[in-house]
Amino acid sequence: MNESKCILLVEDERQIREAVATALECEGFAVVQAGTAGHAAVEAGARRPDLVILDLGLPDRDGLDFIRDYRAWSPIPILVLSARTLESVKVEALDAGADDYLSKPFGVAELLARVRVLLRRPQVREQIAEPKLAFGDFEVDCVNRIVERGGQPLHLTQIEYRLLVFFAANPGRVLTHRHLLTQIWGGQAAENHQYLRVYVGHLRQKIEDNPAQPRHILTEIGVGYRFQP
Amino acid sequence: MSVPSPRLVAYLWSAIVPVAATFLVLPYRLAIDLSNVALLYVLSVVVTATRFGRGPAVATAIFSSLLFAYVFVPPHFSLAITEIQYLLTAIIMLVVALMVGHITSELKQHADFAERKSLQSKTLYEFSQQLSGAGSSEAVIEATRHFLVHSLGARQADVISPAGFAAPPLPANPALLESCIARGELLSKPLGDGRFYVLLPLGGVGAGQGVLGFDIEAGVLVSPDAVEYVETVASVVSVALERSRFAEIARETEVKHASELLRSSILGALSHDLRTPLAALVSMADTAALGKVSAERQKALLEAIRTQAMSIGQQMMNLLEMAKLSSGALELNRAWQPVEEVLGSALQLIRQQWTEREISLDIAPDLPPICIDAVLIERVLWNLLENAIKYSPADTGVEMSVGQAAGQLEICVNDSGPGLPDADCHRLFNLFQRGKEESDVAGVGLGLSIARTIIEAHEGSISASNRPGGGACFRVLLPIGNPPAMPALEKTP
Repeated sequence: MNESKCILLVEDERQIREAVATALECEGFAVVQAGTAGHAAVEAGARRPDLVILDLGLPDRDGLDFIRDYRAWSPIPILVLSARTLESVKVEALDAGADDYLSKPFGVAELLARVRVLLRRPQVREQIAEPKLAFGDFEVDCVNRIVERGGQPLHLTQIEYRLLVFFAANPGRVLTHRHLLTQIWGGQAAENHQYLRVYVGHLRQKIEDNPAQPRHILTEIGVGYRFQP
Repeated sequence: MSVPSPRLVAYLWSAIVPVAATFLVLPYRLAIDLSNVALLYVLSVVVTATRFGRGPAVATAIFSSLLFAYVFVPPHFSLAITEIQYLLTAIIMLVVALMVGHITSELKQHADFAERKSLQSKTLYEFSQQLSGAGSSEAVIEATRHFLVHSLGARQADVISPAGFAAPPLPANPALLESCIARGELLSKPLGDGRFYVLLPLGGVGAGQGVLGFDIEAGVLVSPDAVEYVETVASVVSVALERSRFAEIARETEVKHASELLRSSILGALSHDLRTPLAALVSMADTAALGKVSAERQKALLEAIRTQAMSIGQQMMNLLEMAKLSSGALELNRAWQPVEEVLGSALQLIRQQWTEREISLDIAPDLPPICIDAVLIERVLWNLLENAIKYSPADTGVEMSVGQAAGQLEICVNDSGPGLPDADCHRLFNLFQRGKEESDVAGVGLGLSIARTIIEAHEGSISASNRPGGGACFRVLLPIGNPPAMPALEKTP
């Protein structure tokens, strides 16, 4: 089924671009390569890719600007590659609309895993969202607001429920603290990172077997959380 | 109601004192000898001279003689003097009174002068003490400003630095400033409201330490010794400024020297500790490129190349991190966090890199949140775990345990390797210090140094020891503060 998936790879470093393109093609994806933001914009319009892999340090334009412009018209997932290790840069890219990031140097296996998770997501808004979410041995009935684990009902508070549904609806995506706070509590709470940590802690206590070594809600230190189905 | 000037008061007293003396002896004038009365008047002149100085003393002398002649010399209550010897008494009394008044007032002047001088020396002494305590030129300038405002009554006071000569603050004008600098002496200009603006060069002709500018009342700087005093103040300030600038230069040089040292250490580390694994990388790649090794060996080679490259990348990151940490004041981005969050994230990262090693976590329940820079603490945990993995056999596990110890959070990372080389474990945390100088484990000796820098910035401590059963133990202690109360955002249904 990978044949139908097209990936736009935007990277100015030729060696990395070719290595990654080869790996993706070996996995059966169609890869469109671009070395500049200008070229990438043209390809994005012409080829309508299913996923964009974007290096933030491009010669002609800031990668962040590319993300913002692209997000203005397309909901297609963006995976960011960054040589910069600063957490603030990652947060900025994610807040601009990127879905995930990988710091250089990264392993190809890791990259492929992230690509697969992002592509598996229902991304076209026209599709009727499934009112039921499932991950691990959990089932969430979004209509009746019931969470079950292995058939047993699980009691969650209002906020915990909302957090869980939001996480489960965005598998593989790195959600920044700010993004989660505005989604769950509203815009006025955007800076209260402590609330988020506490509630994520509560939620982990209820859904993780080992809250200190979570399987589903993973921490991206300094950035946010990633939900792993 | 206006207060009479002190001068008027003094002359008033010069009249009151002899009048009082007159009324004192008036009832006994027949019993007291005329010469004794004259002496009493001389005494009143002495009193006025001691208290009010020369002018009032002369006035008292003349007024006393007139009173003496009028009241006591027969005929009484008339200025007419009939006998020549009474006239003589009156004249001698006047002369004596004038002389005594003169000498006494001179003495008083000297005493006043000495007192003023000692007060000035005392304030100057206190001021120079303050200046010697000032560490930076800003502190010197602040102390100077405070001194001028409080002991000379200046309303504004500035030190115009040589860099600011082109655009001096008002009311100093460039022309006045220029001539002050060129002549190296005090210059002033009237401000119009009975005050003068004074410019004083610091550091003689050329004003190498800047120019002191302040305003004072017109009366303050009239006498030469007042000018001398202000010039002494200026010289004290200029010495203090010079000293503080030298101290600043010395500090800068020290910082420069330290970063120079760091740079050369980094270069050394790059040339030795990174070149060796790079050479291995090249030869492994070449071997693989020959295409003559078996498919299995080839796979192993490629695997080794990858591991090697990742490890070089890790060392690069450590180098960059260290350069960042030592380039200036470390700024912590602290926030209250559950400990589990940082631990979980560090473990997740380390397990991604070392999939086959067993890493166990033993965490006490109900740990309080701590206020840390999570990114940096994660870095510390990563470094400790990586060390434990690298320096212990591949088939042994690594344990991390977390708990509370004496009001502090205790994180221990234990391995089952050969342990630490010697008892001097503290040395391990120094920059570019490795357990063994030549080791087959890749590294540049930065990880523990980074860990210590970060932990100490968190007011915590880090130590290393050998475990009784073998293996090394690295122990981090972090203070547990008082987490702020959190108002509930959600009502429990």
